[in-house]
Amino acid sequence: MIDLGALHTQVRDILETGEVRAVVGWRRGSRGMLAEPVTIATPEEAETLVWDPTCFHNLSLTLVEERKKPSWRPGKPIAVVAKGCDARSLTVLMQENCFRRDEVYVIGVSCAGSGVLDERKLAQRLPGVEPDSAAFDGDAFVCATAGGEDRIPARELMADRCLECRDAHPKLNNVVFGEAQPRAFDPPFAALARFEQEQVGVAERWQFWQRQFERCIRCFACRSVCPMCYCEECVVDSINMAVGADTTAAEKANRIRWIERSASRADNIGYHMTRALHLAGRCIDCAECERVCPVNIPLRLLNNKLEREARVAFGYEPGASIDLPALVASFRDDDPNHFIR
Amino acid sequence: MSAQTPYEPKIVAFLCKWCSSAGSDLAGVSRIQYPANATPITVACSGGVSPQFVLSAFHKGADGVLVSGCHIGDCHYMEGNFHARRKLYLVKELLEFTGVEPDRFRMSWVSAAEGAKFAQVVRDFVEDLRPLGPQDKLKAERP
Repeated sequence: MIDLGALHTQVRDILETGEVRAVVGWRRGSRGMLAEPVTIATPEEAETLVWDPTCFHNLSLTLVEERKKPSWRPGKPIAVVAKGCDARSLTVLMQENCFRRDEVYVIGVSCAGSGVLDERKLAQRLPGVEPDSAAFDGDAFVCATAGGEDRIPARELMADRCLECRDAHPKLNNVVFGEAQPRAFDPPFAALARFEQEQVGVAERWQFWQRQFERCIRCFACRSVCPMCYCEECVVDSINMAVGADTTAAEKANRIRWIERSASRADNIGYHMTRALHLAGRCIDCAECERVCPVNIPLRLLNNKLEREARVAFGYEPGASIDLPALVASFRDDDPNHFIR
Repeated sequence: MSAQTPYEPKIVAFLCKWCSSAGSDLAGVSRIQYPANATPITVACSGGVSPQFVLSAFHKGADGVLVSGCHIGDCHYMEGNFHARRKLYLVKELLEFTGVEPDRFRMSWVSAAEGAKFAQVVRDFVEDLRPLGPQDKLKAERP
């Protein structure tokens, strides 16, 4: 269990001493039980920070967005409250030289034995009810509703990624709250293994994914919420082409368009496959893409698939260390060769 | 394609300039007979074949995509084909995972001296593609 008071004290201290210029954390949101990300810069605000099972967001995204602003200036580090998965994504960002280690002060919060809940599972469990708060008491989620308290076993409500989490204790940290406990839920890639058991043949797989991708409305929420999708120009945004006075109409019309932005089955598949490949060896399974998807596409399966392949075939674990080379920028002599004629 | 013409698989072949492209040349000058289904695209190195090229070829209607480079250890740029192998392994796995027939994507190592092997690779690929029929899973719907 995390002592919220100790967290507040720590945040107040580092802001008071000027060790950091700001702290990114979660505060109580304006809708029901949900927490929301917040950036605070004064010690007085330290008390507003919360930690509960609705702290879904991967806050390294806030840091990436801040970094991209024209107003960004180097200076004192920025502190981020990070769960195990968030700390891994910070590691990858540092590995890619998005930040230096001394630019970020990581306040680790260990999910030891707990995890965040899944809003979709909650909506199924308590249909039509919006709890006012959610807490974790060791082996169950306690949701306070107007009609009293509901105690729901952890397994039924916890997000899949948390059930399968392998690093609940943030490895990268300046200070960490909560203890490192072994987890007692699913083995890694359990949801992926379930999927592969259910959809065996090529035809079944295609039936499944076709249904998923046809739904995509190309809102790009998955891209917006991903801390790893920080490219200045995305492969689908060919609108960013530099147009000068002497750019001809033909040049504009014939600009390279790998994938169209509009929603059609083939282009949706192209987009999601490209995204999965760009995230290979970088995705650390925070599963934010799947959480924000308005049409419930199981995007986590795609990312998990490539993460598992990288682990099995190349012995590569994303987010393990800042000094690790990138997956596709490195190789081993004994990489699989059996599929090549 | 009209309904009368029998189906012929279209293959887009990314061949590395130093080995496989020269290998296909050798197949040509040696007068080795092989199907004309493959459209060769010479690239500087198989390591430069982005997964995007493969997806794009399927998107534009290729029935099969072949990537061919120098044998491991023979890369003109020392390690390009090692990178190709790793990257394209992931592409292969992803295509299979999403339900695209595994036979639609193929890799081979063909040296400049292996004209006969190149012809055989294309022959085998065409034979494996024929029963699968036209690829319409990743192909754009527009004309």
